[in-house]
Amino acid sequence: MNCDEYREAIAADPSESFHGGAAHAAGCEACSNCRQEMRALDERIARALAIDVPEFEMPVLPPIEADDGRRAGAAAPTFRASRFSMPLWMGLAAAVVVAAVLVTGVPEREPGGQDLVDQIMAHMDHEEASRQVTAVPVATQTLNEVVSRQVSGMDQDIGLITYAMSCVINGRTVPHLVIQGSRGPVTLILLPEETVDAPIPLSGDNVHGVLLPVGSGSIAVIGQREDQLDEIGRIGQKLAKSVEWNI
Amino acid sequence: MHTSADLERRQRFERVVTALHPALYRYAAWLCRDPGIAEVVVQESLLRAWRSLDSLREDDAAKQWLLTIVRRENARYFERKNPNMVDIDELSVSQAAMIAESAEPDVEEVRQAIHGLDVEYREPLMLQVLMGYSTREIADLMGIRQGAVLTRLHRARLKLKAIITADGCRVVLRDNG
Repeated sequence: MNCDEYREAIAADPSESFHGGAAHAAGCEACSNCRQEMRALDERIARALAIDVPEFEMPVLPPIEADDGRRAGAAAPTFRASRFSMPLWMGLAAAVVVAAVLVTGVPEREPGGQDLVDQIMAHMDHEEASRQVTAVPVATQTLNEVVSRQVSGMDQDIGLITYAMSCVINGRTVPHLVIQGSRGPVTLILLPEETVDAPIPLSGDNVHGVLLPVGSGSIAVIGQREDQLDEIGRIGQKLAKSVEWNI
Repeated sequence: MHTSADLERRQRFERVVTALHPALYRYAAWLCRDPGIAEVVVQESLLRAWRSLDSLREDDAAKQWLLTIVRRENARYFERKNPNMVDIDELSVSQAAMIAESAEPDVEEVRQAIHGLDVEYREPLMLQVLMGYSTREIADLMGIRQGAVLTRLHRARLKLKAIITADGCRVVLRDNG
């Protein structure tokens, strides 16, 4: 091994695990110095690579065996699409807005928005049975039938979807879904043709959530308890980033 | 609601991924150079891993198995979205935060230099220095020849050295990769 070969090898592997390296360096002061430089560089690289790691958050793991024996996740619904339909910073900004609205509310609502809110609240009263705690996912075919006409893409990793129904709200047939959150069921009402200018808090008996502007439409994300609001904010953020309307 | 088999599976999964999460996150973050995207990639990877946990025969092989899933998921993410790549001088807020999170100026300088490396150099360097991988293991994970790994590693170090130091030993740069 000559000096050029050694220096090429030590730059690729400063641990000097390659054959003949130690023997060459022992007899060559310049190459020994080169090894020290590479090892010092590696220490700096290692410190730089060790970035802070956020707190570990286990994703919601879907059950593996569905009732009919299918493996969950093996057959993804056809409307599945990727996340981040808008830039990351917009998603983060949306999350901040959602969090602020959930905590503080907004002082005034637009008249049109109030009508929509009233209809959503009334619908929640009618469909109380949809909000069951269960580990049984809704059938893929049902989910597709309910969602695919109005939604071309949505992040389904928001949680286990256990209920899907086409419902009439404000004169339009829209998807009504329920997912199993970590603190209880969370209702999603997808409203592709209902525009709101800003997030609107939804609050009532067993109703705690928000109506979010999403593109040209909006989505209501609603839990039953106040301690679900953090999770509702996260779900709303994911939906705002991932939902793509067909309309 | 969970069966005992399901619970056992969940416990095994938690045991495996919780210990490896820091490595998975750092690998994803340096692959995509964006902590926000890295979190998404890791979460998606964990869901994929959960669905295919039965294919992991030995828990000892979990690190390589999970890193492979993260690598593929990162590629899928960029295939799906094809986001506009930014120049090193035009960092997003989250990218800038990733570089500048350390209070040490030297760390920030080296971090910025690594950030500017092409992924073909950045990835093997990260696997070797951060994960302690051998060049054979890096070759297996990246699906390239071991000789190509060696070439990329020594070029990566020379590029970094040229950016962050003004002096030092002379190393021949050969084109054999």
